[in-house]
Amino acid sequence: MSFFSAEDLSAGYGSKRVLNKVSFQMEPGWVLGVLGENGSGKTTLMKAICGILPHQGRCVLAKETLEELTPRKLARLCGYIPQRSGISIDLSVLDVALMGFNPWLGLLQRPTEEMRQKALWGIRQAGLAEREEENYQHLSEGQKQLCILARTLSAPASLLLLDEPESALDFRHRYKAMELLKAWVKEEQRGVIASLHDPSLALNYCDRLLVLREGRAAAFLNPREDPLEEMEKALSAVYGTISLHQCRDRKGKVCLVMLKEPQ
Amino acid sequence: MSIMGPSTDLHTVKVKVFCAAGLILMIFLAAASLFTGRYPLSFGALLAGDEMQRRVFFTLRVSRTAAGLVGGFALGTAGFVYQTVFSNPLASPDVIGVSSGASAGAAVGILFFSGAFAVTAWAFVGALAAVGLALALSFLDRTGRHGTIVLAGIAVHSLAQTALMCLKLTADPERELASIEYWIMGSLNGISGYSVGGNLILCLVCAAFLFLLHRQILLLSGDEGEARMLGVPVGRMRLLVLLVSTLAVACIISMSGLISFVGLLAPHGARMLTGKSSAGTMLLGGILGAILLMGADILARSLWTAELPVSIFTSLLGAPFLIYLIIRGRRGP
Repeated sequence: MSFFSAEDLSAGYGSKRVLNKVSFQMEPGWVLGVLGENGSGKTTLMKAICGILPHQGRCVLAKETLEELTPRKLARLCGYIPQRSGISIDLSVLDVALMGFNPWLGLLQRPTEEMRQKALWGIRQAGLAEREEENYQHLSEGQKQLCILARTLSAPASLLLLDEPESALDFRHRYKAMELLKAWVKEEQRGVIASLHDPSLALNYCDRLLVLREGRAAAFLNPREDPLEEMEKALSAVYGTISLHQCRDRKGKVCLVMLKEPQ
Repeated sequence: MSIMGPSTDLHTVKVKVFCAAGLILMIFLAAASLFTGRYPLSFGALLAGDEMQRRVFFTLRVSRTAAGLVGGFALGTAGFVYQTVFSNPLASPDVIGVSSGASAGAAVGILFFSGAFAVTAWAFVGALAAVGLALALSFLDRTGRHGTIVLAGIAVHSLAQTALMCLKLTADPERELASIEYWIMGSLNGISGYSVGGNLILCLVCAAFLFLLHRQILLLSGDEGEARMLGVPVGRMRLLVLLVSTLAVACIISMSGLISFVGLLAPHGARMLTGKSSAGTMLLGGILGAILLMGADILARSLWTAELPVSIFTSLLGAPFLIYLIIRGRRGP
């Protein structure tokens, strides 16, 4: 029995089908990267798993069928970070982070001191220490993203869905965010599904890669073990001709680098 | 810790100071409202037990002041809720047709029934019918998007306007048409102790309910999917919150007629003063609404020998305040 499985997920907008019978399985402790070009169905997959988009097929997380859960129960199991958060009112960073605890609070309850401390911890982790009283609207796009990341990391969900979490982040914070996710996922029985645009992040930080092409699962790769030629072939189908190379960083850790080759 | 301690305190202190100052002004205006009007009242005569003085005080002034206080508070709070839930600075309960529904209802009351109570009752029915229709129409769209309820509201609004126009055509231009027009302009004049109690209590209950749900209201300001993944049953919660705040507004405008600007301005003022959206800001929005409506009502009954429509003064008082806030905001902190 796997930790999370998606079975034959299909979804779309109106009569247009964007996601076509995608299935995959995850073990606990995995960061699953979802790769694919624009319009290949990455966001749609995220939204379908969350149940925000009506879809066919089903998702099972820790023996619970997600489609059958109430929004509250679902939110306790899954955290979701959209490409851009829609918060458009003036709130402090801490208030935004505390929103993450809503599924654990009764309708009329206030967040506890413990939740406050957890949220402050998350804010520090995300590198926003001492900004918790600042207005969220006055942060840069990248900092907003980090704040939403803090909100998601501080709440005790077991599966995180992130839609292009790195899109607004600078080089340094991209790696920082991936490190945070790696650390988070190793605690207890957890998993992360992140759609990513940056292949080097995906190749070096993800335990598995799901490659989407025109709404179908084109490949399911293990970047640490699969032979380079096989991965080159799978990724070339998405990005055009590419080549993969192994090199080592100064500590001797093997890293993968992807280069675009002339057609 | 030393840096974050004071800044945390500062912010809540700021909100508290504004709320306290607002409360003091509100109480002062309420006291002034009790002793303002055509029939002069004196504190001494009231205590001495002058029968006429007591009757004017308890049946007219107390209920009128209570309506100004509670009504303004409810309009400010409901405005805050609408602007937050729709993430739109121009949203107000009018969006889903409550005002035009109330107007059409009041016209029915004026044309086919008689007495102030019938007009209030019919205006209330009209307002609820408009809201009910708008919500029912929005249910037709199963995806429960933000925009649907606005579109449904616009449709209901124009339907109610058309009904109002037809009713006006059948009205006797000398008496009935004038009454309808005057009702629409809004005034706290007709409110007396006999009719006011139930509406105000319902209104207070609605406002209290909204304060209890303030966390959910703030969560609704985000994206649909985001709010859902934060555990909010978005569709149902949004309907509930909108329905309750509209009910509060219907309670007031069915007694007073239309009151412009309070629901729009009070929450803006509160947000610009505190620089934040929170339960404290919502409370301040309510307090500012009460101040604005009572202030306008005091002017409406003291400036002229005849009663003037209260909306004239809510706009006259409100517009400069809004302009001041805009200028202050542009200068920066």
